[in-house]
Amino acid sequence: MFNAVIAAAAEGEARNPLLPEIYDIVWSSVIFVVILFFFWKLVLPRMQKLLDERAEAIEGNIAKADDAQRKAEAALEQYTAQLADARAEAGKIREVARADGQKIVAEHREQAVAEAARVTASAKVQIEAERQAAVVSLRSEVGTLAIDLASGVIGESLTDDAKASAIVDRFLADLEASEKAAK
Amino acid sequence: MDATSVLAAINGNIATVGYGLAAIGPAIGVGIVVGKTIEGVARQPELAGQLQVLMYIGIAFTEALAFIGIATYFIFV
Amino acid sequence: MLPSATEDGQFKGPSINEFFPEAILFAGSPFEINRIMLIRFLAVAVLLLVFWLGTRRMQVIPTRFQSIVELGLNFARVNIAEDILGKKDGKRFLPLITTIFFMVLFLNITGPLPFLNIAGTSVIGVPLVLAVIAYVAFIYAGVKKNPGNFFRNALFPPGVPPFLYIIVTPIEFISTFLVRPVTLTLRLLMNMIVGHLLLVLFFSATQFFFFTADGGFKLFGAGTLVFGFAFTLFEVLIALLQAYIFALLTAVYIQLALAEEH
Repeated sequence: MFNAVIAAAAEGEARNPLLPEIYDIVWSSVIFVVILFFFWKLVLPRMQKLLDERAEAIEGNIAKADDAQRKAEAALEQYTAQLADARAEAGKIREVARADGQKIVAEHREQAVAEAARVTASAKVQIEAERQAAVVSLRSEVGTLAIDLASGVIGESLTDDAKASAIVDRFLADLEASEKAAK
Repeated sequence: MDATSVLAAINGNIATVGYGLAAIGPAIGVGIVVGKTIEGVARQPELAGQLQVLMYIGIAFTEALAFIGIATYFIFV
Repeated sequence: MLPSATEDGQFKGPSINEFFPEAILFAGSPFEINRIMLIRFLAVAVLLLVFWLGTRRMQVIPTRFQSIVELGLNFARVNIAEDILGKKDGKRFLPLITTIFFMVLFLNITGPLPFLNIAGTSVIGVPLVLAVIAYVAFIYAGVKKNPGNFFRNALFPPGVPPFLYIIVTPIEFISTFLVRPVTLTLRLLMNMIVGHLLLVLFFSATQFFFFTADGGFKLFGAGTLVFGFAFTLFEVLIALLQAYIFALLTAVYIQLALAEEH
């Protein structure tokens, strides 16, 4: 190789490959710029688009699956919600029914109590009236009976009405007083 | 034939010898780089890819010396 | 041995002047076109055609041709940009890294191709321009990330005792701002120059041994032919590898610039 170089140097001058020629630099730069723009503006965007499309295709399938799953989940949720609603509804109805029943029972009880009270009251009134009647009739009968008994005992007729009724009244008053004292 | 006449009989550029000497170092260096890479891959085959990249970088740095060796002829001619 | 062989037939090895062929158009102007420039144009035309056709009607389920183009683009995107820079920054610098990768690849691959036989990157223009662009890119990335701090962090790495800056700062300066672009350029350029010279050497030697040399030397021709064939395959590998390494190192430099924190 170096022989050849020297031989070439003898013929003409040997060129130094480390010293760039101007045209060499010019054309190299032109080539570089052309290729750079070719890749930058044309090839790589196309490639990127393809990669995106491919990624999209893969992701599209995943998205589809996701969508289906989401729909299924939504349906399930809706169903569950409906079920819960229905359950709540039933509970509410039951609650209302129970309340109604209680109300009815309470009303009835009240009525019954009122009825009982009324019956009791009327019975009391009747008893009082009968007692009064009894007292009235008893007073007159007891007076007569007692006077008859007393006239028999003392042997004299207590026909004097004024005297007799005074005695009876006094007796009854005593009787009432002794009853009160006994109470 | 004595040494002087042998030397006289050899013609050519002494730079050739210089380049031969200059190539020794990078040759050993590249050998070590590749050998160590093989060792590494044998130990951990799963790192083969990474080691290969590193090996090429290592070779590139090492062999640059050999090419500088060639270039010196043109620089100092 | 060699002198005896060259006595009559004049074996002529490859010369460095192969990389400076005769001008075809616009000789002497800044737009001079020679054989290597034409090869570059051809490679670029093929590149544009392949990627234009490959991405014209992209489908979610790729055709065979589309999947090959996609494989290439994905390699640049996943294995270089995103692997080194991460998702976010990888996307930012993806056009640059993809461009570098495929430009170097297509210009490299003309080296071992029959009838073209010389890599578009074997003249310093392309490696130099790409290295300068990578250089600008990583400095831009660093300055954009932490304006004002980038150069201080790069030249005066934090956590180093101050008196060591006398040693550390020049080393950092040379390694970061001089060696990186120089090695990027030289690695690619020299790989391609040496690859081409080796192939020319093997095949011209084969021709020499077969048609000029006599007797037992013809046997050497078979050896050099086999070597030439093997090295052609090797050059294909090198073409791929250098494209990968150039793009990878660009990504690594950008990543280093982005990672400098504090």
